Amino acid sequence: MATQKLVNNIDHKDTKIITERSATYGDDIWFTQTFPAEFRSVQAYYPIFFTKDENTGKFLPVALFGFEQNENLFINDGLWHVPYIPLMHARAPFLIGKQTLLEDGVEKLQRVLFIDENHPRVNTEQGAPLFLEFGANAPYLENMANMMETLHHGMQDNDVFIGRLVELELLESFTLDVELNDKSKHQMLGFYTINEDKLAELSDDDVAQLHKDGHLQAIYMAIASQSNVTRLLLLKNAALGL
Amino acid sequence: MKTEIKRIVIVGGGTAGWLTACVLAAELDLINSDFSITLVESSDINPIGVGEGTWPTMRGTLKKIGISENEFISTCDASFKQGSQFINWQGQTATNPVYAQDSYIHPFTLPQDFQNINLAPHWQEYSEQVNFADAVSSQSVLSKLGKAPKLITTPEYSFISNYGYHLDAGKFSGLLKKQAKDKLNVNHIIDNVIAVNNDKNADISDIETEKNGKIAGDLFVDCTGFASLLIGKHYNIDFISKQHQLFNNTAIAIQAPYNDPNDDIASCTLSTAQSNGWIWDIGLQSRRGVGHVFSSEHTSTEKAEQQLRQYLTATLGLKKAEELTSRTIKFNPGHRKKFWHNNCLAIGMSAGFIEPLEASALALIEQSAMFLAEQFPKNRSTMKIIAKRYNQTTSQHWTQIIEFLKLHYVLSKRTDSQYWFDNVATESIPESLIENLELWQHQYPYHADQVARNPLFPAASYQYVMFGMGFKSSSITKRNNKIIQQKAQQLFKENIQRTQQQAAVLTSNRELLNKVKKFGFAKI
Repeated sequence: MATQKLVNNIDHKDTKIITERSATYGDDIWFTQTFPAEFRSVQAYYPIFFTKDENTGKFLPVALFGFEQNENLFINDGLWHVPYIPLMHARAPFLIGKQTLLEDGVEKLQRVLFIDENHPRVNTEQGAPLFLEFGANAPYLENMANMMETLHHGMQDNDVFIGRLVELELLESFTLDVELNDKSKHQMLGFYTINEDKLAELSDDDVAQLHKDGHLQAIYMAIASQSNVTRLLLLKNAALGL
Repeated sequence: MKTEIKRIVIVGGGTAGWLTACVLAAELDLINSDFSITLVESSDINPIGVGEGTWPTMRGTLKKIGISENEFISTCDASFKQGSQFINWQGQTATNPVYAQDSYIHPFTLPQDFQNINLAPHWQEYSEQVNFADAVSSQSVLSKLGKAPKLITTPEYSFISNYGYHLDAGKFSGLLKKQAKDKLNVNHIIDNVIAVNNDKNADISDIETEKNGKIAGDLFVDCTGFASLLIGKHYNIDFISKQHQLFNNTAIAIQAPYNDPNDDIASCTLSTAQSNGWIWDIGLQSRRGVGHVFSSEHTSTEKAEQQLRQYLTATLGLKKAEELTSRTIKFNPGHRKKFWHNNCLAIGMSAGFIEPLEASALALIEQSAMFLAEQFPKNRSTMKIIAKRYNQTTSQHWTQIIEFLKLHYVLSKRTDSQYWFDNVATESIPESLIENLELWQHQYPYHADQVARNPLFPAASYQYVMFGMGFKSSSITKRNNKIIQQKAQQLFKENIQRTQQQAAVLTSNRELLNKVKKFGFAKI
């Protein structure tokens, strides 16, 4: 049975979304995909690196939450302890769907909001309701719909952004070596970052083009975000009581 | 005699010619130097297109000449090759349960930590539980499971499990030609050679062509295949036949379709022994290349073709197996006495040819082209020295290829035809192999018994084939160094873990190839 359904005020009139943040609701992730338009918000709290999609081998920018699988150092006691959650993760349990609509007799493909009814956040007991008493969208749903729109455009821009980075050879692989207060060492493989030497050697034309597309800012945001590794380290030491 | 060597003329437009042109052009940096390379390709001769299997060295070669792996895989119908699987070569079902199936794999990956420790003696006590290849590397198990050697997230030319390729030779030479002409500044002339002219020192001064007149050069590379236009016809360098040692001299090749375009693709070249030769089976993306190479002294072409079609019937059914067209290639197994004479050297089949049992043809072309590129003679007097060394090295390679291929035969216990009896007759075995076999009764093959400095086949290859064939020595003294024993135990354990981990993440060849065509590997 399909569990992804078009959000509507008949099937979902009593649906509520649990907004608590914990492993039970799928928040125990150590990174999530991000995109240039939200880099400004993301770099305030998280390191931004690049990794490869395991199904396609394509690069993705990601915001890092921990040092190993299932480790999210930002969640604790049902809360996410910094004010911004990357949209790719914040969207759950919603998805973007496509639907063909007739508009003035012309078939048009439109983006619509889908919900994963099997997601642990979805219930009828507690949390934010999707619809108001008489079927109008609740503020929570409005907010989600806007978020999904931003996310959609962000994902499209990501393809262009990554394409440029690859073309200009601006990505390089690196290994993150982490040493905790108890001197234990951890190594993270499979991440990539901006190659600053290559960045410095870019031609004027390339720099201008990156700037025009808003990607130059994103590149520097990503570089600046690396200092957040220290923040992650503090959180990790604290979590282990070190 | 201080003439500088600047103009290189390559005669022959097959894989050998274009591969040599690409490697030389890349190394000599043609675009920024005053070297010139002209490749003269005959319009009348169709390249023979042998060699559908490569060694892992091909990855480095392609990278060097600036071809992207994604482009190579999409244009050459290429797939990943992790080694060779030999089926029915032992010829008897031994009492050892490990050998219940008459099949073993010679993988490309060396045994764990091979530089520092010889695992063979330590494996011996487990030989009833696990075959040698499975014990010392993960590759044979991965191959049997039909796994790809890497993930879509692995960069171009990098690997999780070492690999070479299976490829369509015709398409490959097309890609090389395009690279040579478009990117590497190689001149291309399509014309027939009608005469070869010498200068007063008996060096080749030029070749005369039908339409383009004389093409002069300082160095000539003979890539004319069996025709052997320069080294053979012009210089009359002796050909040394090896048919008395390796009997196979005829091949029947068939291109076989898959039953379904999404059928699995084997990770190894399959080599199945027959009564008078063996059948190769190479899985490309869109088809299989299958062929029977045999000794015409021992059987007829009709009989051999019948065996080949019978082999195909098992996978394709009788009707399809009977319909497919075949092509017969006759060859004289062996090589020239010299490969570089005066200002002319032969690369590819003009230099020699032997059955493709270990896919050495393309590998030897790569070796030769690399040698020439790296040791490129500055002038006519240094050419003499380099030619001498080239001849020494290449002779060594041929000696080793013949010895190593023969090893596959001499350890067989097949008794189903005169062919296999003749193959173990002492007079058919190269002297160096007789010596080695005697040594190996008392010691395990390892680095020390390799005479050549840069052997084509490392001692590991000898181990894989010998133990794969069930070779057992009776009189090896057991050494009991505790530390080394512990190290070996640890390596065996690690190999089991590594094998399980890799098998869990790697997908099938087909699945990975479909992804490569859709997304491509990243460069980093």
